[in-house]
Amino acid sequence: MPSLLLEGSLLAYLIGTVAGGLALWRSSAGFRQTTAAALIVGVVLQGSSILARSAASGTIVVHSFAEQVSFFTCLLVAVHLLAQLRFRLAVLAAVVGPLGFIGALVALVAQGATSDVPEFLKSPWLPVHVTLAFLGNAAFALSCLVSFAYLWQERRLKARTISPFLTSLPSLESLDRINFTFLAWGFVLLTLSILSGAVWAELSFGRFLSWEPRTIWSAIVWVIYAALLHARVTVGWGGRRAATLTIVGFGVLFISFLGVNMLTPGQHAVAYG
Amino acid sequence: MSTTKRAQVRPLRTREQQGGATDIWIVGLNHETAPIELRERLAFPADELGAAAARIVTGTDAREAVVISTCNRIEIVASGSCEEELSGVLTEFLAHDRGVDVALLREHRYVHRSRDGVRHLFRVASSLDSMVIGESQILGQIKAQFRDAVESDVVAAFLRRCFERSFRVAKRVRTETEVATRAVSISSAAVDLAQRIFDDLSGKTVMLIGAGKMSELAARHFIAAGVKNLIVTNRSFDRGVELARRFNGTPVPFDRYREYLGMVDIVLGSVGADGTILGPVDLTGALKSRRSRPMFFIDLGVPRNFDAAINELEGCYLYDIDSLAGVAKDHRAERAKEARKAEAMVLEEADGLWRQLQSTDLTPTIVALRGKLEGIRRTELERAMATLRRLEPQDREALEAMTQAIVNKILHVPMTVLKELARKEDTGGASEAQNFVHHLFELGSDPEADEENQE
Repeated sequence: MPSLLLEGSLLAYLIGTVAGGLALWRSSAGFRQTTAAALIVGVVLQGSSILARSAASGTIVVHSFAEQVSFFTCLLVAVHLLAQLRFRLAVLAAVVGPLGFIGALVALVAQGATSDVPEFLKSPWLPVHVTLAFLGNAAFALSCLVSFAYLWQERRLKARTISPFLTSLPSLESLDRINFTFLAWGFVLLTLSILSGAVWAELSFGRFLSWEPRTIWSAIVWVIYAALLHARVTVGWGGRRAATLTIVGFGVLFISFLGVNMLTPGQHAVAYG
Repeated sequence: MSTTKRAQVRPLRTREQQGGATDIWIVGLNHETAPIELRERLAFPADELGAAAARIVTGTDAREAVVISTCNRIEIVASGSCEEELSGVLTEFLAHDRGVDVALLREHRYVHRSRDGVRHLFRVASSLDSMVIGESQILGQIKAQFRDAVESDVVAAFLRRCFERSFRVAKRVRTETEVATRAVSISSAAVDLAQRIFDDLSGKTVMLIGAGKMSELAARHFIAAGVKNLIVTNRSFDRGVELARRFNGTPVPFDRYREYLGMVDIVLGSVGADGTILGPVDLTGALKSRRSRPMFFIDLGVPRNFDAAINELEGCYLYDIDSLAGVAKDHRAERAKEARKAEAMVLEEADGLWRQLQSTDLTPTIVALRGKLEGIRRTELERAMATLRRLEPQDREALEAMTQAIVNKILHVPMTVLKELARKEDTGGASEAQNFVHHLFELGSDPEADEENQE
C-alpha cells in the first residue's frame, strides 16, 4: 500500500515538473493550474505514505537517509504550495517539482531497507523535534531559491537584457520581501527545533546540550541566520547582499545536513547506523 | 402607403441636403502626419466639440458630424451624400475655424472615405493608430466626444451606427488580443521595467528632472500605472510649477532637487544639458538614507543626463533612451503578432459594417418599389371592384389574393437582384442600380424620404 502511494506521488511530481517547466516557456494559467494540482496530489500521496509507515513503526520514520530526504522534500513541496497562497511563486515549481520527484524516488528505491528505531528514540518528542527542524529547513531552502531568482532577475536588469521569458517572476522588491518572510519563519522554526531538542535531551539524558557535530553545526547555522536577520532588520540590509548571504547560509545548512549526519558519530547519527 | 413625390417636413435638419446614398468622410491629422505645433493650434477645447460639430453641419454639405480632438489627433468624422466631395469643404472648415492656413493644413491632413473611412475609425477606436499602440485612453475620449456631438443633435442613424460599432470592436480587440497588455513605447517600457523592480507603484515617488514633453508623457504613463507622488524640478521654475500642478505633484527648485533624492524611487531625466547633471557622488547620501531600497533611473535626455556609472551602484538601475528602446523593441516584436491579429479583426469588422451600411442603403429603394406597385394594384383593384359589384365576398378575396400574387411574382426577381447587389463589395453597382430603379419606376430622387413616408 505505501508503495502504491509512493508510485502515485512519483507520477504526480513528474506531471508537476513537466507542467512547471512548460509554464516557464509559455506563461499560461492552464500550465500553472496543472502544476499546482499535480504537486498537491503528489504531496498528499507521499505524505500518506510517510504517515502509513510511521503508524506501522510506532514513531515518525526518519531513520535512514532516504527517509529523511523523502520527508524533507515532501515538506518542501508543501511549504511551497502554502506560500503560493500569499506570493506569486508558481515559477519555483520548476525546481521544487523535480526535488519532490527525487525525494519520492529515493524513498521508493530504499523502501525495503528500514532500520529499526532504537527504543530510546521512541519518544513523543521525536516527531515534534524532527518536524520543526525539517519545516525550518524547507523554509530556508525556499528562501535560497528565491534568492537565486532575485540574483538572476537583478543581473538581467543591470545588464539591460530583460527578456519576455520568465515574466511571471515577482518584482525585485517582492522577491526581497518573500526572502525575508521565509528567512524569518525558518529562523523561528530552527530555534524551536533546537529548543525542543534540548528539552528532550534534558528529559532523556539529563543534559540539554551535547557537544556532538550535529548540534554544533546547528548552532553555527543558527548564528549565521541570526546575523543575517539582524543585519536586515536593524542595518537595513537587503537586495543582492542579503540574497547572496541567504544562499551561503543555506549552503552551510545543506553541508551539515548531508555531511555531518552521515560521516560523524553522535546521538543524531545513532539512528542512521 | 407611400406616394413618392409628396414633400415632407423632416424633423432632423441633418437630412436637409439629400441625394443618393450616404457615405462617411474623415478629414484629420495625427501625430504621424503633423508636428505638435500644428496639432496644438488645431486642437479644439473640450467644451466646444459639440458646437464645432454643429457648425460643420450648418456650414457644409455634411449631414452629420463628430469632432475628435486629442493630443495626438484632430479629426472630423462626417457623413454626406456619396455624390458630394466633402474632403475639400471639411478641410476648409477646419482651417477657417481654427485660423490655420488651408494650404498648410492640406499638406498634413489625410482623408478617408467609405470603407476606408470605417476602417480608419475602427483602427483609431481600437488604439491601433495611436502613438502608443494599445493604450486605453483613446476609446474613452472618442466615446465622450461622440456624446458631445449627439447632444448637439448632429448625429443621425448613419454615424451612430459607425461609432457604436467601433466601440464594440475596440472592446473585442481589447479582450481577444494581447495588444494592450505589453509595453511598446519608450515610456511604457520604463513603466514595465519599474514594475519589475518595485512591488506596487502606487506607493512610489517619481521625480521629473526637466519638464519637457518627453517627461510629461512618461509621467502620464507612471500615473496611469498608479504612481501618486510626483516631484517636479525644472530649470525654469514656472514651467516646473505648471507641470507639477497639472499632475498634482510637488515643484522643487532646480538647484535644490538633490536634497530630495533620498525620498525618490524613480528618477526621470530629460534636461537639455551639455554634460551629465547627476553622478554617483550626488547619490551617496540618498542611497545611505534609503538603505537597500532600489532606485530606478530613466535617462530620456540626448545627450544623456545621468552618469553611466550610476548603474554600477548597488541597487541602482539606469536605463537611457537607447536601452529603453531596446526593451520596447523586444516587446514590440512580441506584440507584432497580436497587433496583426487585431488589425485583421478590425478590417473584418469594418468591412462587415460597410457591407451592412451599403445593403441598408438599398432598403429604401426596395420599400419604395414595393410601395409603388402596391399603390398601382390597389388603385386598379378598387376601380375594377367598382364595376364588379355582383361579386360574392369570397370572389373579392380571390381577386385580392390574385393581384397580390401578381405583384409579388413581378417583384421577386428584382428584389433578389437588388439584395445581391447590396451585399457586393463594389458599392458603385448598388448605387447605379438604385438610380436606375428610381428612374425606371419614377420613384423620385430621394429614397430616404420614401423610407420616412412609410412610417
